[in-house]
Amino acid sequence: MAEKKVLVLGAGAAGIQAALSEAAAGNKVYVAEHFPSFGGERIPQDKIITDGDAFTAPDLATFKSNDNIEFLRNADVQALVGDNGQYKAKIHCRTPRVDPEKCDECGKCITVCPIHMYDDYNEGLEWRTAVDFFDSGSGYYNIYKEDMPVCQRTCPINLPIRTYVGYIADGKYAESLAAIRERLPFPLSIGRICPHPCEAECNRQYKDEPISICFLKRFVADYELNNNIEPKIFQPEESFSEKIAILGAGPSGLTCAYHLARFGYQNIVVYEALPQPGGMFRVGIPEYRLPWEILSKDIEFITKHGVEIKCGVRIGQDISFDDIKKDHDAVLIAIGAHKGMSARVKNEDAEGVFEGIHLLRNMALGKDFPITKGKAIVIGGGNVAMDVTRTCLRAGFDEVNLLYRRTRKELPASPWEVDAAEHEGVKFHFLVAPQEVVVKDGKAVGMKCQRMELGEPDASGRRKPVPVEGSEFVMDADAIFGAIGQVTDNTIVDEKYGFTFGRKLNFEVNPETFETNVEGVFASGDAATGANIAIRACAGGMKAAESIHKYLRGKK
Amino acid sequence: MCTGRVDPALVADAFVNGADGVLVIGCYFGDCHYITGNFMAKHKLDMAREMLAYAGLNPTRLQFRNLSSAEGARFARHNTEFVEQIKEIGPLGTGDKVGMPQLKEKLEIAYKSLAGPKLRWVVGKKPVFVDDARGNKYGEVFTEHEINRTLSGIVIDEMATYSIMAALEKKPAAVKDLAKELEIPAPDTLKYVLALKRRGFVEMDGVEGTSPIYKFKSAEGGRC
Repeated sequence: MAEKKVLVLGAGAAGIQAALSEAAAGNKVYVAEHFPSFGGERIPQDKIITDGDAFTAPDLATFKSNDNIEFLRNADVQALVGDNGQYKAKIHCRTPRVDPEKCDECGKCITVCPIHMYDDYNEGLEWRTAVDFFDSGSGYYNIYKEDMPVCQRTCPINLPIRTYVGYIADGKYAESLAAIRERLPFPLSIGRICPHPCEAECNRQYKDEPISICFLKRFVADYELNNNIEPKIFQPEESFSEKIAILGAGPSGLTCAYHLARFGYQNIVVYEALPQPGGMFRVGIPEYRLPWEILSKDIEFITKHGVEIKCGVRIGQDISFDDIKKDHDAVLIAIGAHKGMSARVKNEDAEGVFEGIHLLRNMALGKDFPITKGKAIVIGGGNVAMDVTRTCLRAGFDEVNLLYRRTRKELPASPWEVDAAEHEGVKFHFLVAPQEVVVKDGKAVGMKCQRMELGEPDASGRRKPVPVEGSEFVMDADAIFGAIGQVTDNTIVDEKYGFTFGRKLNFEVNPETFETNVEGVFASGDAATGANIAIRACAGGMKAAESIHKYLRGKK
Repeated sequence: MCTGRVDPALVADAFVNGADGVLVIGCYFGDCHYITGNFMAKHKLDMAREMLAYAGLNPTRLQFRNLSSAEGARFARHNTEFVEQIKEIGPLGTGDKVGMPQLKEKLEIAYKSLAGPKLRWVVGKKPVFVDDARGNKYGEVFTEHEINRTLSGIVIDEMATYSIMAALEKKPAAVKDLAKELEIPAPDTLKYVLALKRRGFVEMDGVEGTSPIYKFKSAEGGRC
């Protein structure tokens, strides 16, 4: 029988005792400790540990010398799954940042360390330097540093925000933009439309207000554009000849193509069904939020890296998925989520009921829309709903009513978008739920609605709206738009491949590698995550590019 | 002598000994025979100026200018200009943030901090981070802005630390009395004293009432 492996969490007195008794029983013991040294929080501040005086019972000498005990410092358990006899633990060990082989304990680093911080051993009562020793016996020095600043950790693509904002403060705009483009090829577009989750976490807000991270990015990108500075094209050192197909020239697909080009892939083809590249940047976000000339500058920057974009090629119609898969070494599906979700109300297939995303797409591509005057009703409360209402006003509707079944407080849209929509004259109706489309001669003429009130919180933590009996009323409308979420159009792939799909008809992928259950086929962006913010789609594209690179290099 | 070798402690020493102004003249940027000597000088003197200004000196009294050795007329002009500026401010102790007897005490503390190891090491790392944009071993880039902010923090720390040491050298004291005397907030003073105790510069002398009394131990300090 194979030897048993035991994991002890925490190396305080009890943890060490447990490890010693398990090791004595002949098991292999791993001891994971959050702090850089054993002894837990009992370490005195000036003398750390001398054998036999910090603890009463445990035999530290045996603990250090026992071959069956492996001590994991700076380790946090991130996940623990399994059942008796077959546990699996995911342990994250932070790097000590001091090479124990080279350190000879002169202690000079502590004398000169410029960073002082609250000492977590003494409950923050005194200061210590960022570099410190914890175990005078082992010579184990350690630089304490959090992995990422909070803004960078919040950003889906982990943009080096501290660096590029710092460069802007120094006036080094070119370096700042280069730091952004290390990861994100869309600084102009993202700088305009990102809902910036980073700013919600910024530590500066506890002092006055958060740093305007998003608009600082827009500023450096605009600086280059307005001063006609030629963006620097990255020249990869290696070059690879594998053919890669990317389906969908949206945020995710183009970010993936950009990173693959930076890795050195020469044959990258991006297939786009619509006549113009950009995906949701182009047809999902109205022009008043993201001008097309601005977007085309970003796309031009990507194509200059040697990425070919073929527009007007719809998979399944102009070219089959089988051919694509046969002709290319790797395929990325980044087709986004362009199909509106059904509002599940009666008569919703009547003439005059549309998907909100349909209006946005037609307006963006300059196509006609069947109805553009009279009264419009928009259902939903997200940023897409705000875009649809404001686009309705621009298209020519006289009155736009927005129905949302919770209150203003629960609106998922960004507050500045709501304010802008209200300012432009959109009428908001809160605590109103649509029930049935009123149809006359096959045409929608109004919406039967019911008033709601907020009840108990549901599973998502939001208070669930409950209908008020007898409060039904009819709201007149010439056109009704649903903007309650989008799903992926997954009909491009044949059933024979056996792709699995999630709740939003999105491709199910490995969350780390973005690989689908079909070999060589990856999926990222909205097609993999369900409709989400643009920067998350870009992050998915970047990670997919990394795993496509690993996949193709590993195949050799 | 290359201006890159002008030790900030030398500059502070000049002020402690009564100089009314110090003018450091180096080569033009880009003309350095040793490539980065004058950049180093600029970093060092910027830091020294910040330190001395924090101690209460009028920062105009320390200047760094660029000149080539072939420009006699300009050299004369620089000197005349500088002397006139200093004359306008007046002798040491007038036109500064603090008056004369205290200024000298503070300058002595500034001298000790500038001669200490911490500022030397950190300012020595500045060109590595700022002029060479590759960042540290982990690829983390630090901007000039951040380094300057860190340096300003050290200037405050070092002044506080060395003034606490100077006060304790005169007579042992409790933290609350030190805080009152040096006008540093008491919680911060406690932390500075504890850090000094850990590093072996001060030790406990006894307890008076409920407050521990600390006394100066040695200028060498312990192991760390």
